[in-house]
Amino acid sequence: MNSRAPLIKSMRQRLAQALLELATADPNLYVVSVGLRPSVMLDRFSTRFKTRFVECGVAENNAAGISAGLARSGKNVFLCTYSCFSPGINLATIKQSICLNGLSVKIIGYHAGLLTGELGASHQMLEDIALMRSLPKMEVFAPIDATEIYKMVKVLAKSSHPAYLRLVRPSTPVIYPGRLGFTIGKSQVLQSGKDITILGYGPVLVQVFSITTKKSLEIINCSSLKPLDTATILKSVKKTGRLLVVEDHQQNGGLGEAVAAQILKASLKCRFAHLAVNDSFGQSARDPYDLYRLHGLSPVNILDTINKLCSR
Amino acid sequence: MNIFTSKRHPLSITASEIRLNVLEMINSASAGHIGGSLSSVEIMVALYFSGIFDFNRDHFVLSAGHLCSTLYAILAKLNKIKYSDLSTFSSFGSSLEGHVSVSVPGVEYSSGSLGQGLSFAAGLALGDKDHHTVCLTTDGEHDEGQIWEAIMFANKYHQGNLINIVDYNGQQIGGTTATIMPLGELAGKYLHFGWTVQTVDGHSLSALIKAIKIAKASTIYPAAIIAKTVMGKGISFMENDYHYHDVKKLPISLYLQAKDELSRSSY
Repeated sequence: MNSRAPLIKSMRQRLAQALLELATADPNLYVVSVGLRPSVMLDRFSTRFKTRFVECGVAENNAAGISAGLARSGKNVFLCTYSCFSPGINLATIKQSICLNGLSVKIIGYHAGLLTGELGASHQMLEDIALMRSLPKMEVFAPIDATEIYKMVKVLAKSSHPAYLRLVRPSTPVIYPGRLGFTIGKSQVLQSGKDITILGYGPVLVQVFSITTKKSLEIINCSSLKPLDTATILKSVKKTGRLLVVEDHQQNGGLGEAVAAQILKASLKCRFAHLAVNDSFGQSARDPYDLYRLHGLSPVNILDTINKLCSR
Repeated sequence: MNIFTSKRHPLSITASEIRLNVLEMINSASAGHIGGSLSSVEIMVALYFSGIFDFNRDHFVLSAGHLCSTLYAILAKLNKIKYSDLSTFSSFGSSLEGHVSVSVPGVEYSSGSLGQGLSFAAGLALGDKDHHTVCLTTDGEHDEGQIWEAIMFANKYHQGNLINIVDYNGQQIGGTTATIMPLGELAGKYLHFGWTVQTVDGHSLSALIKAIKIAKASTIYPAAIIAKTVMGKGISFMENDYHYHDVKKLPISLYLQAKDELSRSSY
């Protein structure tokens, strides 16, 4: 990271802004809300586009079905609520009413991961990537910061596939280069290096930039989790021979497993470590980064793992 | 045997044809949900052949996807699919899936997981206010909480272009709906949730058509039609027996009896 302190920005706020812009240009754009309008920062959208803001109340299954029906009628639908409820509650409706019916609903999962902090275990969604990447036709994305989500949502609004987009609750450092665009199925090498490949998504990966080490780190932002940019990842691992995957998600079903399978398929030899939540629940914390320390996802843990992998 | 208690409606011949198609499909596949498929015949015939709706523009959502053999037979009669396709029902490589699928021309919604269709129908009705959306659900399906979420939603958005027909045959896979999970006074529940409600004989084509016309005329309120039906209607040994929710292979003697009873009910 640069020596000067990075900007801290809210993904939610940036997404809300992007949706306002998109809805201004596209009269078919609808937002389906599930009772969390203020929290997902859609107040302005709801007053500016009254008829295109559909409030379902606290009913995630119905909201997914309504979204699917709207999409069938030709609308461009964004389903907006916390990830612990969607897909946490409505997975079967997403599978049948959206995916099986081939409808391109965009599911925005707010408040994912341990960074949800104070709200505790029930609200810290750590299984969303596993659930969503297993669904046929579903594409899965997790932006690293507010800059990337803005670029990402503009691209996804034009996509004809159903998609899941993972957001975190707190404002987080902005590091995504303004010159970079976003392409579905592409990862970005944010920093080139030769000793070890570090792969991740979301703000947990940003921490790597704060690590001081003599090792040469290749940092890859894997914000397109499905489709996965296997070519970029394998090319890097071939070069470095070492791979560390870090994610604010359960180990089971996460990016680490997805990438490990690709490495085995390609018969690549590499040293591999996976930092993720190990089959456990989160808990409340006023400083969510305390949870990263508890679950082994802090910069110190990442540095330790880099040193271990680079020890021979 | 005449399966109709009231004066025969001209479309009753069509209903009889559909029933025979359903029996043949399910018998040839040795699989399928015959009980509900037979109870829903008049409902779907009234929807598709009365001229009230044009389903090239209006929408039909079969929430209870296991009733698909009836819909497939209707789509064959409408030349959307070939009659010869019906014998491929639920076989490998056939688009005629064991639960209804959009891969079949004329089908708007793939389903099978119960309780989801009314939400989809409400979304479709909201997105296309110029046309009507008709959903077909079952009484057993009302065990699902999602149905009630959708019922509340339709009231909130004053969905006068949404109709939900409930095939109320009183049976589900493991027993009567009253013993599995009693629904109580369903019509009253719809009424209190802000819908208009009509309860009709679900095997009387004239009563169904009249009720559908009334439902269609509603401009502000979503409309429920509770169609009281008989599971397995038309085949005496199946009627009201929940064991015929679905069938494997019918013994040849029972198959012949079923075919005979259905044939004699048509002209």
